[in-house]
Amino acid sequence: MVREEVTVGVGDAAAGLHEFPTTDMTLNIGPQHPSTHGVLRLRIVLDGERVVSAEPIVGYMHRGAEKLFEVRDYRQIIVLANRHDWLSAFSNELGVALAVERMLGMEVPERATWLRTLLAELNRILNHLMFLGSYPLEIGAITPVFYAFRERETIQAVMEEAAGGRMHFMFNRVGGIKEEVPAGWTGRVRQAVADVRSRMPDLDGLIRDNEIFLARTRGIGVLTPEQVDAFGISGPVARASGVDFDLRRDEPYLAYGELQESLRVVTRTVGDCHSRFECLLDQVYASLDLADACLDRLASVTGPVNVRLPKTLKAPEGHTYAWTENPLGLNGYFIVSRGEKTPWRCKLRSASFNNIQVLTELLPGTLLPDLVAILGSMFFVVGDIDK
Amino acid sequence: MTDLPGGGLARGLLITLRTMGRRTGTQQYPDVQPALPPRSRGVIGLLEENCTVCMLCARECPDWCIYIDSHKETQAPAVEGGRERQRNVLDRFAIDYALCMYCGICVDVCPFDALFWAPEFEYSEYDIREMTHEKDRLAEWTRTAPPPPAHDPNGAAG
Repeated sequence: MVREEVTVGVGDAAAGLHEFPTTDMTLNIGPQHPSTHGVLRLRIVLDGERVVSAEPIVGYMHRGAEKLFEVRDYRQIIVLANRHDWLSAFSNELGVALAVERMLGMEVPERATWLRTLLAELNRILNHLMFLGSYPLEIGAITPVFYAFRERETIQAVMEEAAGGRMHFMFNRVGGIKEEVPAGWTGRVRQAVADVRSRMPDLDGLIRDNEIFLARTRGIGVLTPEQVDAFGISGPVARASGVDFDLRRDEPYLAYGELQESLRVVTRTVGDCHSRFECLLDQVYASLDLADACLDRLASVTGPVNVRLPKTLKAPEGHTYAWTENPLGLNGYFIVSRGEKTPWRCKLRSASFNNIQVLTELLPGTLLPDLVAILGSMFFVVGDIDK
Repeated sequence: MTDLPGGGLARGLLITLRTMGRRTGTQQYPDVQPALPPRSRGVIGLLEENCTVCMLCARECPDWCIYIDSHKETQAPAVEGGRERQRNVLDRFAIDYALCMYCGICVDVCPFDALFWAPEFEYSEYDIREMTHEKDRLAEWTRTAPPPPAHDPNGAAG
């Protein structure tokens, strides 16, 4: 007789042997699956509807970004930095520029710093709006995404006018930004910020207190501060669990040091899916206020926006680590230079990679329908995980 | 926040109802062309007369999608008894838009203003080989390049 081997698990109710033992099912979600937005693969073991264990399997989109960085000169790196987290392109390229400037000991003109701060906050709004639209979509609410994209379009129009790109802005340069913004642009940004602020209550009112949305997200996927520390989680996901850490306040870079009065770090204490969503939602309002504060200062800050670079840019021998508070969390570049045109070693610390690892602890014990709700609320970009 | 049971749902429906009365933001794209800002990075055009075959663009391109061929020509001396001079002549200049990452480094580094961005974007092809635009096609794009916008008066003179 041929004996068939099956993975046998004992269900909760079967412990007393009065019922049939049940068989656990190993289920692969992804790499191609509509609810995983990207090629993240989850291997989960299910006991009925309940998740027994879960393992995120990453790397389907691994492009070897770190090694690609190491064969590009400091001007070309910015192109690649744009792309690992395609929703935070401006903040990513900013990190590279800051790292190289620090190694060179370069002074960045004041106007460039203020414009960078403004654009970084606009980029944060763009990123958050994307998730504010896509997260409800993943758990079945179709309408909010249209409102979110209406606002995104408004901000993107001004970003494109200045940078020429809608996603990969390529507006940072070592020593500043590419060029001065067009005449009248700051006025149009102010209008765009005002428009988005006036229309945000639409998106807010549609979803924040929607009973169905609350039922799907409140009390689901509770992340403890201990887990946040253990896994190195950062950004809005960490702040939703009460870990009040934000580089813009705690280790100010760019012009954030002078913006402390306008800077509001949004935190929650519960740590469930709904508080993660709320952190994102309220951070949009906070970033809109920051953008306005930057515009106020830009009206009086004059001067150049970049410095003239030598034809071949070589960072002196040494190393540096530059981290920034990206929309999704801490994003850091550790760059080692041996005095060449290219970095000798580049280590990329991306927010999503760390944030996603906690799924092995967060998912077991939850129901399968909640898995999608939890997965979506971790706010990640697959390119940022796989690098 | 939610006062009555179902209050959140009702608020959502009210927003939808209000939005129904508003003007739509839909852009009728193939029928109506979008208004793109002058800096929009759609396609790169080449002004052949300005190119000196210095190869900076091809070397600085992060994915090496610019192909340049050239030869040297000897020019007769400008004045009687002068020295003969050598001049680079461009034979081929092509950009492979299937590889291009639209970063604009080539346009930035060109020291003789031979490359320009134009907001044109409708050049998709059925055959990937057609995505390599040779210099005659690149010259056509140059004609669609808009003049750069004036800089913010708060900045240094551009």
